[in-house]
Amino acid sequence: MDAIANISLKIDGIEVMVPDGLTILEAARQNGIHIPTLCHHPALSAWGGCRLCVVEVDGAPRLVAGCVTPVRKGMDVVTSNDRIIEARRTILEFLFAERNHYCMFCAVSGDCELQDLAYEYQMDHLTVPPLQQEFPVDPSQDDMVMDHNRCVLCGRCVRACRELVGDSVLDFQNRGGQSLVTVDVSGQLGGSTCVSCGACLQVCPTGAIFDRYRTHYAVKGKSKDWVSKESFCPQCGLLCPTVSVVRRNSLLRIEGEMPGREPDRGQLCHKGRFDPVKTTGPRLTEPLVRGDDGTWQKSTWTAALDRIAGGLEDVRKNNGAQALFALISSCCSNEELTRFQQFITTCWPEGYLDTLDGRHFRTLLGAGSLIPEVPWATMLEADFILQVGVISSQSHPIITSLTRRAILENKTKVAIIGPENPIGPWASFHLPASHEELLLTVNAICIKINPDLATDPAKGTLSHVGTKGFADFIKLIEDSEKTLIIIGEALTEIGDSAVIKRLVDLAQFKSHGASQAPRLIILKPAGNSAAAWSLGVAARQSARNQLKGGLICATGEDGWDPVLIGTPGNLDFLAVLTPYFSETLARQASVLLPIPTWMEVDGTYAFADGSGSRFKRRVLTPPPGVGSVEETLTALSGRISTNPGQPD
Amino acid sequence: MEKPKVATVWLEGCSGCHMSFLDLDEGLADILAAVDLTVTPITDFKDYDFPEATLGIIEGAVGNTEQLEILHKLRKKCQLLMAWGDCAVFGGVNTLRNHISTEALLTRGFIQTESTVDGVLPVHQELPALLPQVLAVNEVVPIEIYVPGCPPSPEAIAHALQEVLQGRIQRMPSGILHFD
Ligand code: SF4
Ligand code: SF4
Ligand code: SF4
Ligand code: SF4
Ligand code: FES
Repeated sequence: MDAIANISLKIDGIEVMVPDGLTILEAARQNGIHIPTLCHHPALSAWGGCRLCVVEVDGAPRLVAGCVTPVRKGMDVVTSNDRIIEARRTILEFLFAERNHYCMFCAVSGDCELQDLAYEYQMDHLTVPPLQQEFPVDPSQDDMVMDHNRCVLCGRCVRACRELVGDSVLDFQNRGGQSLVTVDVSGQLGGSTCVSCGACLQVCPTGAIFDRYRTHYAVKGKSKDWVSKESFCPQCGLLCPTVSVVRRNSLLRIEGEMPGREPDRGQLCHKGRFDPVKTTGPRLTEPLVRGDDGTWQKSTWTAALDRIAGGLEDVRKNNGAQALFALISSCCSNEELTRFQQFITTCWPEGYLDTLDGRHFRTLLGAGSLIPEVPWATMLEADFILQVGVISSQSHPIITSLTRRAILENKTKVAIIGPENPIGPWASFHLPASHEELLLTVNAICIKINPDLATDPAKGTLSHVGTKGFADFIKLIEDSEKTLIIIGEALTEIGDSAVIKRLVDLAQFKSHGASQAPRLIILKPAGNSAAAWSLGVAARQSARNQLKGGLICATGEDGWDPVLIGTPGNLDFLAVLTPYFSETLARQASVLLPIPTWMEVDGTYAFADGSGSRFKRRVLTPPPGVGSVEETLTALSGRISTNPGQPD
Repeated sequence: MEKPKVATVWLEGCSGCHMSFLDLDEGLADILAAVDLTVTPITDFKDYDFPEATLGIIEGAVGNTEQLEILHKLRKKCQLLMAWGDCAVFGGVNTLRNHISTEALLTRGFIQTESTVDGVLPVHQELPALLPQVLAVNEVVPIEIYVPGCPPSPEAIAHALQEVLQGRIQRMPSGILHFD
């Protein structure tokens, strides 16, 4: 519910009514009155450090910072007059003089809040001499550079890292003009606890933090030529909203939507922010066919499709349709997934259809079908989070940030079982269980919590069971009112359904029986796994026959895994639909067909927690020569006999 | 009525600002019709005993003793001074050397460069010495009009000239002001 507007005050002579508790800045903005800001950011807590937002209250000689001064009944606020303008310009002059703000060699010139303010306040020269101080530059991180010479000490990065990401990598050191934004123990971003999410980069108003991609003038052009396109990232089932900055069909950068929705508050992970901007290998823009001499030849679509139809028909003739397969990446949209499914059911109903992450699905299936899950926001409600087999930097990097925020904001206790993950040092417990130990460990926990949960006790003993630490850990679970269990991809990968079954039962038990959904989240390896699995594209059983040839549709984000199709050397024929040329593909395939990247397709994707799905408009136009999955499969179906005879 | 006299000098700059001035194309004709351009690097003027001028225009920062002298002379001879470009207004790209001592700078440039054999430091009474730090022109003499930009756009230059010819001395307006 909106707060009631019950405070009346005057801003620039206009009577306004606003809710109590607002700042002057918020009251002005609600009423369309502009007050400049620098250290303030709508997604972050107010700080009041830069004083660019100074306003005059009741004609008092001392100007006050609008972003931290609360409104008061009857206040008379003036947001702009000669002395306010003079004060703001002086602040800007000091900021420019203090460090290196020679815009002509700055990566963000033309796209800088400090520069915009200098233009707004007509700061056409400095009345204070530049201090010519030299500060360090930190180039140690892969995606971003931190240049302290451009820093205005606004603290936005520090607050973003702490408040949005829950990471507290950044802080200030030294005092006054010598202050520096510092990076935890290591002193530089590379090798620190930084998770490369880029939240600090996005909120930095200057060129003090800039990314390494597409910053050259020749590439990025002028900001007036940029288009911002709202979309979302389908690389994991969180589907974070994004704003993509595009110039002439070339992607310049991706930002989170700030201030954003709960629980992620507009942040993105490194995959969402940087991966699409990096070049992911040479782009395929025309079909390639392997020639008789083993080299790749450019081909027309017609010839390539004929070759695929012929190659697959040969496999069918020699080995029967059971030897044919069709594998698709779970990064694909619902539309692509269903079209693929339709293709195989029409062309070779006896063939094997699966997703590249099908084994994860089958592991879960072994633990019971339709395991209910809770929304991600539950992480910020739990008092205890048990992460089992979570490699949080991989499939869902935001898990790290949500977990840390739970620890920071709610004093949630966290325990990790399985591989190391970035939560490590923050967790109350870490039981480093190997494959073999996982079942034993989870069993031991279940036996302690409720013997009914471990009906067929596994054999073997574990050194950590029986230790004081383990007893404390059990106590933590017992005392917890709201235990949340997160099952990670390391667990579904190894195919141990028994462990998962135990954990589901444990979650159910801790959620006070069946009346409530068990507090459980299952991380899925690819962005649209939830849809791929529920649409029935992932196989319920792994292939029973020797597969000899088929089709793979891989988007490049999740790679493609030759293990899935047995020994690749044994394949007689393989065609791959892919946006990128890769060495792995080049070794295995006979034909490569270019498809669009996910940035270049419209499509529907499902939230991982089952809370629905979203339709995404494409952000870029695919290069000429690239065919959509839909078009390609339609053209291919037309060439494949749908009523094949028996194998010869 | 006599046309106002204008002198332009080129200190530690790259000539980009003067090029931008030439980029005014046909607009140049209007300006030349309105003023009398006395001294300018475009005319390759080497003797800096300027005639008196209404307006002196400076491209470039102040990095050596000769530039310092030219700037002081210009100030004496001109009623108004206008700084063109980020070098003159802020010091600009030249200030990159301000964190390096002049000795280290010259040694690197004249002796240690990979392609140099038997290099010597360029020290001679005829040669101007480097100042320890590159300065913006307003760190040396008072300036009336500032036209930043690297280089300033022809529009910014034209605007500044038109304003001053109309007798107005003002800050660069927000829509035209730029630093890059
Ligand atoms: S940070 Fe902004 S103001 Fe500073 S040099 Fe870069 S563009 Fe200019
Ligand atoms: S990238 Fe993210 S984690 Fe790293 S310092 Fe910036 S905000 Fe913190
Ligand atoms: S690095 Fe950027 S966001 Fe952080 S304090 Fe400096 S200017 Fe502000
Ligand atoms: S991969 Fe997931 S967490 Fe990362 S930006 Fe994309 S949707 Fe968000
Ligand atoms: S914006 Fe208010 S003090 Fe910085």
